[in-house]
Parts: sequence; C-alpha cells; structure tokens
Amino acid sequence: MKETKRTKELISEYFIFVIFIALVVVLTCLKPSFIQPGNLVNILKQASINGILAFGMMFVIIAGGFDMSVGSTVAFTGVLAAMLGQGQYPLIVPLIVAMLAGLAVGVVNGVGVAVGDLPPFIMTLGTMTAVRGLALLISNGKPVIGISAEYKAVAASSIFGIPMLSIFLVAIIAICSFVLAKTVYGRRVYACGGNLLAARVSGINTTRIRISTFAIAGLLAGLSGFLMTSRVTIGQPNAAESYEMDAITACVVGGVSMSGGVGKPWGVVVGCLLITVIANGLDIMGVSSHWQKIVKGAIIVLAVLLDIKGKSKKN
Amino acid sequence: MNKKKFLAMLLACVMLLAVATGCGNNSTTPPVDSAPAGDDAGSDAASDTGSNGGAYKVALIQQHQTNAFQIAVTEAAEAKAAELGVELKILSADQDAATQISQIEQCVTEGYQAILFEPVDPDGLRDAAKNAADAGVVVINIISACTDWEGAGIAAVSYGNNVKAGETEMQQVADLLNGKGNIAILTGPSADAGGLQRMEGYENILANYPDIVQVVSPADCAWDTAQAQATVESWLSAYDLDAIICENDGMAVGAGNAAGANSGIIISGVDGTPDGFEAIKDGRITGTVSQNGGAMAANGIEAAVTLLSGGTLETNVLVTDNTWIDASNVADYE
Amino acid sequence: MEYVLEMKNISKTFPGVVALDHVQLQVKPGEVHALMGENGAGKSTLMKILMGIYTKDPGGEILFDGKPYHAANPKEAMDTGIAMIHQELNPILDMTVYENIFVGRELKKNGLVDKKAEIEEAQKLIEECGLHVSPRETLRNLTVAQCQLIEIIKAISINAKVIIMDEPTAAITEREVGLLFEHIHRLTEKGVAIIYISHRMAEIFSICDRVSVYRDGQYIGTDSTANLDETQLIKMMVGREITDVYPKLDAELGEVIFEAKNIVRADQKVRDVSLAVRRGEILGIGGLVGAGRSELVEGIFGMQPLSGGEIYVKGKKVKVLSPQDIIKEGVALITEDRKVTGLNLSGSVNDNIAMVAIKKLLTHGLYNKRKALSASREYIDKLNIKTPSGNQIVGNLSGGNQQKVVIAKWLLNEPDVIILDEPTRGIDVAAKRDIYLLLGDLVRQGKAVIMISSEIPELMGICDRIVVMCEGNYSGEVKREDFSQERIMTLASAIKV
Repeated sequence: MKETKRTKELISEYFIFVIFIALVVVLTCLKPSFIQPGNLVNILKQASINGILAFGMMFVIIAGGFDMSVGSTVAFTGVLAAMLGQGQYPLIVPLIVAMLAGLAVGVVNGVGVAVGDLPPFIMTLGTMTAVRGLALLISNGKPVIGISAEYKAVAASSIFGIPMLSIFLVAIIAICSFVLAKTVYGRRVYACGGNLLAARVSGINTTRIRISTFAIAGLLAGLSGFLMTSRVTIGQPNAAESYEMDAITACVVGGVSMSGGVGKPWGVVVGCLLITVIANGLDIMGVSSHWQKIVKGAIIVLAVLLDIKGKSKKN
Repeated sequence: MNKKKFLAMLLACVMLLAVATGCGNNSTTPPVDSAPAGDDAGSDAASDTGSNGGAYKVALIQQHQTNAFQIAVTEAAEAKAAELGVELKILSADQDAATQISQIEQCVTEGYQAILFEPVDPDGLRDAAKNAADAGVVVINIISACTDWEGAGIAAVSYGNNVKAGETEMQQVADLLNGKGNIAILTGPSADAGGLQRMEGYENILANYPDIVQVVSPADCAWDTAQAQATVESWLSAYDLDAIICENDGMAVGAGNAAGANSGIIISGVDGTPDGFEAIKDGRITGTVSQNGGAMAANGIEAAVTLLSGGTLETNVLVTDNTWIDASNVADYE
Repeated sequence: MEYVLEMKNISKTFPGVVALDHVQLQVKPGEVHALMGENGAGKSTLMKILMGIYTKDPGGEILFDGKPYHAANPKEAMDTGIAMIHQELNPILDMTVYENIFVGRELKKNGLVDKKAEIEEAQKLIEECGLHVSPRETLRNLTVAQCQLIEIIKAISINAKVIIMDEPTAAITEREVGLLFEHIHRLTEKGVAIIYISHRMAEIFSICDRVSVYRDGQYIGTDSTANLDETQLIKMMVGREITDVYPKLDAELGEVIFEAKNIVRADQKVRDVSLAVRRGEILGIGGLVGAGRSELVEGIFGMQPLSGGEIYVKGKKVKVLSPQDIIKEGVALITEDRKVTGLNLSGSVNDNIAMVAIKKLLTHGLYNKRKALSASREYIDKLNIKTPSGNQIVGNLSGGNQQKVVIAKWLLNEPDVIILDEPTRGIDVAAKRDIYLLLGDLVRQGKAVIMISSEIPELMGICDRIVVMCEGNYSGEVKREDFSQERIMTLASAIKV
C-alpha cells in the first residue's frame, strides 16, 4: 500500500521528465536526424534565451509573483546593447548596460508589487507596455543594425562544439539552482511564495525578497536581451514578443506552481527543453506552424492539469 | 443615484479628454491666434476659416509604427506634407481594427478633409471608410486596400502590389536556381492579408517550375527574426535546402543567420529594410524585393491634395513598382 | 522584578475606530496568563502591537524585563524574546517540517543553509513534543493538528521569554491538547511566561494562573483564575450576566424527515455511516478532528462523490449528484469555513442573504431589489444581526454576525433540514447564545437540525441525540438522558486505542 503510493508520488513528481523522454524517443523514431549532434546543438542554442528568462521567471513565480514584462525588457535591453555594441566600446559595456537596464525594470516591478501592493499581473502588464514603448522610442521604431563582429561572435561561437549561448544558460542554471537550494535567501524566496503572511511574521523582510525576485528576472532579461541581439545580429524593438509566455510556460510545465512556493530548478530545465524540443521536432518533421501552436497549447494545459491533480491527491 | 450620474459624466469627460489629447499628439496645432506672424501656414488650422483659407487637413493612420517599413512610411509622409504645405496628422492603430475605426471616426469629427489609412483588416475597416466618405471626406487606402474599396467610396488606393512583389521575389529565386531545387518558405502571421498576397505571388511563379519543390510546409514565423532563425536551424539539420524564400526581410535575416554568410543557400526577402541591406552586404542573404512604402504614402498624399483642390486623377489605382535588390545594387538604396 | 512584561496605557486608533483605549497588561515570569474577551474586544490588536505588526498610538509604554521595549516588526520582537503562535495563520504547506521550524532564522554554515543541523535540531524538538513525524515531511502531508503543533514547536524553539498562543487548541485533538499542556508546564517551570488566548472556558480554568479581561477596547480587570468561576468571567466579558450558556428550547418530536443510510465516500474518508433525524430534533455529530464528520455531510450534500449509500428526504429517495439535487429537497448545509465556502466577503449583507434563494426574489423572472431588501431586513431583525445597514460589506462584520448572515442566507430558502458544520467556531459567547436560541426556534417550527461540533459541552447542551464518529466510521450514538463527556469521548476515540 505504502510502496505503491510512494511510486505513484514519484511518477507524479517526475511525470514531466517521463513525457520529455517519451517525446524524444518518438521524435527520433519518426525522424532520425532529430538525434544528430548538429540538431542537438540547435536545441541547446534555441533553448538558451528562453531558458535564461525562465530561470528569472522561476524566482518571481516561486515567490508568489508573476512577470509579464520580460519580453519587452529583452527587446529594450537588446536595442540598447545593439546601440552600444557597434564597436565603439569594449563588449563589456553593452553587456553591463543591458543588465542594469533590465535590473532597473525589475526593481520598478518589484517596488510596485511589494511596496505599492499592486497585483503583479497589473504592475507588470503596465511595464510590459511601457518598456516596449521605450524600446520603440530609443530605436525610433527601426531595427538597430551594424553591431560589431566581436559582438556577433558571442552567440555564434562555440567551445568544443558547445555553443556559447548554452554555456551562458548552464552557468545561469548552476548559479540559480545553488542560490535556491543552498542559501538562506533561496529558502526565504520559497517561504514568501508559500505563505507571505507566515513569512512576514517569521521575521522575514518579505518586501525586500519580493523586490529582489523581480530584480533577478529583470537582470536575466537584460542578459537575454544582450544575447538576443548577438544571436539575431540586430537590435529589434519589436523582438521577443510574448517571450514572457514561453518563460511562464517553461516554469509551469516544469512544475513551478502558479500559486507560489513550489518549484525545482531541474523541472524548469526540463520544461524549457520540452518546449524547445516540441518546436524543433515539429519543424524538422515539417509540421505546419498552425499545428505547432495547437500542440504547444495542449501540452501546457495537460502539464498544469497533472500538477493540480497530483497535489489534490496528496491532500 | 445622483452620484452615479455624476460619475458617468465625469468618466465621459475624462474619455473625451483622453481621445482629444491622444489624437492631438502628432499634430502641430499650438494655439497661436495671438501670433499671426507665424512662419508656417501648416500650423494655422485652429481658426478653421474654411478649406480655402488654410492648409488642407490630412490624417494618415498607419497600421502600426514598429518596424523599419512603417517608419519609412511615416518619414516619407511627413516630407511630402511639408513639401505640399499640408497639415498632416499621423496616427498609429497599433494593429488593432477597433482602434483604427475609432481613429477614423474621430478624424471625421475633427474636420479632417482627407484620411489616408492602411487597413488593419480589409473587411473590418470597410464600413468605417464608407461612413467617412459619405461624410464628404476624401478617403484613400495606402499599402493595402479594403475589400471592394471602390464600392465603399474610397477615392483611390496607393499600394505596391504584394502579389507582384511575391512574383518578383520567386522569379528571381527561380532564375538563380535554374528552375530546379528544394525550397522552403517562411511566412508572416498566418492570417495577414499582405502575407497571403505575397504567397499568392509565389504560387503563381511556382506553377511554371515543376522542378522546384517545397520540401516542408511553409512556417509561420510571424515576421520575427529570432523565430525564423530557430526554424531554419532546425530545418537545416534535417533537409537539404537550395533556397529559403521569406515574406519579409526580418525573417530573411534570421534565415541568413542560421545558414551563415555565403552558405550557398539562396535566401530572399521582401521590404528592403536596413537590416536586410546589411545582411545582403555581408552575404547572409541573397536579395530582397523593395516595397517602397514611402513612395506609396507620398503618392497617396499627392492624390489627396489633387482631389481636394478640385482636380481629377488619371487613375485611382496608384501602383508603386518594386525592385529586386541584391549585392550588385544594394549600395544605391541605402 | 515582578513582571517580565508590562504594557501600560496602550491605545490604538484605526481610522474611525478606537480599537484600544488606554489598556494595560502585566505578565509575571513563569505564569500562564489568559486574555479573555469577545471578538472585537482588542486582544489581537494588543498582541499585534507587542509583535510589532501594528504601531501603538503615541503615549503609553511597554516594559520588557524592566526595560523599555519597542518592536518595529516581528523579527525584532522575536530577537528580543517574544514569540507568537497565530490563530489563523497557516504554516507554509509546501515546505518541510524542518524548513518551517527554522524559517526566518535559518541555521547557517559558511553563509549557506546548514540543512543537516536544522534536521537534527528539528528531530530533537519534535521528539520532545511527543510528535511522530519526520522532519523531512512536507507539511501538506500532515494533519491540521500536526501542523498546529509544528507552529508551536517553532515558537518554543526560539527560546522566547514570553510566548503568545492565540487559540492554540482550535484544531487539535484532546490527546494533543494534553501534550501541549505538558509542554506549557515544562516551559513555565523554566520561567517562560505564556499569554494564552482562547474561547474555551474549560482550558482557561485548567491551565491559566491569571486572566485579564477586555471588552470593546477597554481593559476590564485582571484576577487569578482561582478567584473566579465561569459565570463571573462571562459577566466580565459580556458586561451582563448570562446564566444559561446553552439554552435548550423544548420542541415536539415528529416523524423522521431525513435519513442517510450506509454512506461511503469514494475517497474512503467516510465508511458506512448512517444517521436519521426527526422533525423537531437537534442531532449532534461528535468526534475528534479528522473523524470524518465534515466529510460525511459534504458527501451527503453532493460536494464530494459517494460510492455507496442512500439518502431519503421526507420519505422520498433522493439521488444526489450535486448540491442542487438536495437543496431542491429542502436541505441546507452551513459549511465549516464561512470565509471560504459560505460568504462573498466583499459583497453586502443584502447580496449575501439573497444568494441562495434568489428564485424567491424574482418578479417576472427579474431580480426584484425591493423584495430582496425586505427579505434581508426581515432576517437581520429575526437573527439579531448587528450591522449598520443591509448595505454593509460582510467582511466588515464580526465573526458571529458573519455566521448569522450565512444562516440567514439558507433560511430564506425555507429548508426543512438544516445541517450546520461547527456553527459557533471562533464566535463570541453572546453570538453563540443567539445561534443556540435560533436553532431551538427552528426545531420548534417542525424543522430538523443536524449540527457538527468539536465542543462536547455545546453538543451536550443543545442536542437531543449525538452520533459519534471515529476515523471515518460510525462509532455509536448517545441519547440526551445518557449524555456524559466520558461516554462521548470513549466513543470518539474507540478504535484509536
């Protein structure tokens, strides 16, 4: 009795991993070129930017928040980085500026939510629109071209066959996982999302924690913006449309609970890979993009459904 | 009860105010009654003494203002308006049909004599255009046209023919392939009218070339560079492609990034935007069909002025030609 | 030094309301000091000031260990040596036991969380409390009582000199109450002072040394529990004498109007329970927390699927697939958690009362506001709901009045069988009494009442018969003439031993 219950729990907890493996097997059978090293490198590259965003989003959602503005922030910081990355400054300048700009957006979000007591959805919907406007404003609505060869090389190069972009992703994953699992700060992020009031009366400065999670999301959106520009070689003010949705999807599919307090970094990694693999696999098979949308939508709903069912069973 | 009425009125006032300021932000109408020595005739419309006394009041409502093509439209329209001494107000509908309808209504109310607009939706905007035309306003479509535009009282259309642009692009690619090869197509948002017309152009040409094969179904990359880049990366690991035809330059740049410079794959776009030109120069993409959006807007304004001053048009369909731009002539267009 | 904590002349004004008016409190080291008062008396406000959640109005002073004390937030209060177990505060359900115990003051090694030390320490604390759970277990998997104990362990573990316990026994079983009291004794022996807030008279007299009473933001007095009896204490709290705490009105018993036979819930939380109630009868359902009482009535009411059993209303068999099926037959269920399932807290009293019986308030198929208003006015009077007007937002009413609104909402539908789940939890003495009288009045009209309660004296006071459940099973039934606390407790824990 107890044994089977435990197994069931394990399956429900790692279900998304099972789905992922199954999907990989099916795709490999249908189209052997899927598993070629070249394509695996593609998947890594394609997962990177969404992955970095998803990890920022993970902090926000675990702490009980929600951030709609990361897509716009990617565009804004991407344009900034493109304007500064024409070779006139060392490459570190656009990187730092992009990350600081992202951080600033995040702090504004965090202050609005934690101090102004606005619902995260409303606050970040506001910044989402405003920051998109900012991106259009500084670029005058046009793509910013002419970034330096050195800057282009950031995303295009690879080390021992591993694309540079995914090295960034792995570093972010490592840092974020460590922070969440091992540090006091990480523990308190979970506490805030699990029960804000309980965290507050336990003596946690919940305002600071919540602001910081939005700041992290903003910072990582800034990094993504920098990398995005390097990858597409132009800074586009209308880029990264609805990237926040992909990031949220990766989190939710990976088992991060929208009500806060729950979520494991490995889950987000799988969630993010799953989304990328769906898109990549369907592209490879030449499935029309209309079907891709349907499949993606179905997977999101299914994953969350399992998440809820799994929890109510435990209760 | 009274409180509710008061609130309702207050709300109405606020909304009116918002509309007024929202619409007015692009027009140049400082209240300069006390300064009759104004240097520019275009800024003196507040007195509204009749159409002959001041400059013509013309409104241009763009679909949106968030890409290079649309910005070129804005700039060319402003230049043309200055040249002809027209008071021009430019609005953006932000891709929303409802917004565009209200903007048209608002412009009619504000007494604009001509309204130029690119319909966000060819069917949805037809009635709004007809109402404006019935109210005596000269209505002109630019870039694309409403369904049965003549029936709706629209005086003229000024567009580059999207079908023709698609034909030009595919013909160039077919020539470069010597009529034989594997191709793939990247499209804009699936329901976009302009994209569908370009696709029609592709199909017209492909009908003549049985040896050119589409090996995958067209992918909707929503005009987005990053999305196009990811899709093409995936494709290249599974298919042998000789050419990738894209419905705009942004996606062509993405495809070019995925393939790399001088990859041997023919990659083409439509629009002729700066990012496209840059990619042509460094060999990531092969060429693009320039859709001269600026010229479309400028021709539209010219037509409006002709009609307002009592003249007639030779033809009410103004087609702006498209040109194939590749490494050989890109320098002329920057 | 006589007092470990002294609060003098404390006032707190919220916009438009004086919550505390120059009140005081003196707590000696090593004593259990009860705070008594009806809801709204100001006890919680006073404690929140102590914890730094609220700031007191200027003037007045707080001395802790003889020194002036001020806490800007709970952390400062805890660092100084004051901890609080909150009444309505749920722990962090998705965290483990040890994480909950150390949240906010994590043990560190090299700047990182020292998981191993936390687990060891937690294990020790849990064992001391006689609890049998693993420190690594997630709280979501524990019972409500176990969670409550974890909260208590957490407060104890910070080595506070003063621990505030707000209704600590509201959700735990008798056995666990015993363990808690043992622990309180151990703490007081060490000189720790406990400030104990509870509505349960029996607990106050069994464990507290002294009691301070507050009413409507005023300080009434402090006395040793040895000098007081229940009636005197109630008089201090209510301001008038209430001799009969459990008024029982006589009613004539009629035919069986409602019967549930062999109810089995699909999730096995209730197994083979039967009960029947007659017109004019108040039937109690007793048992420990977690005995399956709420689960039983939720099953009967169609809120959770049943896998077996039959339900008869007025002799007619009813197939219940959803609450509508049984509401139609004239059965009402007033649920346990009024804030979650009973009320629209941001709606007005009128709107809430109109919620269930909306069909009775229609004219030609449209909502008739005048009808609704007159109906709501009628019930506000009948149930003695204390509200400035029918337009008042329900969330602003006191617990007792909220409960009355829930009852009014159902009564408007004119049910014949009324099921109430813990109708008097967390409401004050006067409001409780109103509700007992109301129930008596209902059975006099020939209706039947089924009431779940965890307070045995309450069940014994007003019920004609008590069905007792234990671990999801029917464990026995006691008639009024045979009522005794021991008898009911034995049945409630029958299978447990």
